[in-house]
Amino acid sequence: MIFLENVSLSIPIFTNETRQFKKILVNSVTGGLLQRESAEITRINALNSVNCKIERGERVALIGHNGSGKTSFLKVISGIYFATSGILKKDMQVFPMINKSFLTSNELSGVVAAKAHYLMVKGSKKGFEEYLEEIKEFSGIGDFVYLPIKTYSQGMEARLLFTILTSFKHECLALDEGFGTGDNDFYEKAEIKMNSFLDEAGTLIFASHSEELLKRFCSRGLVFERGTIVFDGLLDDALNYYHEK
Amino acid sequence: MKNELFKALSYAWKSKNVWWYTATARTKARFARTTLGGFWLGLSNLLTIAALAAVYGTVFKVSNFNEYVVYLGVGFASWTALSSSISSAPKLFEINAPQLLNTNTKHIFYTLEEWAFQLQTFSQSIGMVLIGLSFFQNNLFINLLTLGIFPLINLLIFMYWFPVFIAIIGLRYKDFYQLIPIVLQLVFLLSPFLYEKETLGSYSWIADFNPLYQVINSLRETLLTGDLSLKKFIPITIINVFGTIYAISILNRTKKVLPFLI
Repeated sequence: MIFLENVSLSIPIFTNETRQFKKILVNSVTGGLLQRESAEITRINALNSVNCKIERGERVALIGHNGSGKTSFLKVISGIYFATSGILKKDMQVFPMINKSFLTSNELSGVVAAKAHYLMVKGSKKGFEEYLEEIKEFSGIGDFVYLPIKTYSQGMEARLLFTILTSFKHECLALDEGFGTGDNDFYEKAEIKMNSFLDEAGTLIFASHSEELLKRFCSRGLVFERGTIVFDGLLDDALNYYHEK
Repeated sequence: MKNELFKALSYAWKSKNVWWYTATARTKARFARTTLGGFWLGLSNLLTIAALAAVYGTVFKVSNFNEYVVYLGVGFASWTALSSSISSAPKLFEINAPQLLNTNTKHIFYTLEEWAFQLQTFSQSIGMVLIGLSFFQNNLFINLLTLGIFPLINLLIFMYWFPVFIAIIGLRYKDFYQLIPIVLQLVFLLSPFLYEKETLGSYSWIADFNPLYQVINSLRETLLTGDLSLKKFIPITIINVFGTIYAISILNRTKKVLPFLI
């Protein structure tokens, strides 16, 4: 279960003026004589008093315009961002699939990225060789997997990342549609894998603008507007609400 | 705070295979295109030590050259490792920005990975240097593996928490990294690594209040003499314990704002 009560997220935007060590040094030696009123930190209220409860096994669609708070919500429930105020309780591990990112630096090879991910999920290297073969075969990058990721094309990188991240079952998945699959040739293959991957996920929280995708995988819809949930109910009702708005 | 610290340490232990592995991969990748691999580090350190010992041994007119080479060598190799971990710290989170913004891996993971990387680099370097210096003093390894292990652990712990502080300041202040090389150079010149502490005369207090020098000197003295000065070892251990606890607690307190400072 994931439970949110009055959860708010305020994102501070720091200006260069507020982040200069030299300025602090100068102020300290001039006794603050040169100190000007520092530029106030701008804050964006990405989430405003969000209340909701997601039960284990639910498949929830996040609906809303760009900037309405969907991705911030995914980042808060998966633990990338921390709520500024409110209560967040969860009794399951939420795995984020929000943007493309390996666990390791792009200076390192695909094998290292795959092994790091494998170790993170499994805790040991046992069974990694079979896993690597599957990765190589499905992603189609073959022995390129031994080269640094920075040498890959964008498509190869996306294919490898997609394959690595969809290789394990997760008890709860926080997915953003921006999460790519790679080039067109790979798309069909990836779609099949993605479908089974999403089917296997215990709980799914899916942010997307594609009604087709949302209808395929979700049954409940949360409509976001200016960082607040303005509708929570059955997916069809949520989509109707969103369109009427 | 106690609970947060326990959670952080527990996570550090559970994820040890991962951060150690990724650090090892970085170490291997670093030397992938060199014939000598990691040995190059130790070798380059040895060459620098030889050059410095020849020049400064003559300048300072040292009475016992063999002793001086070992004194300078252990100090210099340890300083290189410590200063490298400090100078890479301000950019630590920025380098890991894609991972920090897209995965829910705990922030302490990146500090541990960097520490493991620095530790591996240090072990390659000091190993080779000690082999070289053993021609001048043959009990260095025995001293290291007996009482020397304690100040060595202290140095390694210091190499974790001190750079974590620097990393957090570097995260907050964008221009902080520019200051680090200047400060490190000053600390190096003001610390008795190339010369003996006594030559500082009435200014020897500069070394007494220099934690970077103290933590290295504790190891150096034990390796050179085979004795462990508890008077120096205990305060450093206490500072290390509090430093580690404080560094982890500051890291925890920064976690809410960290993604927005990158």
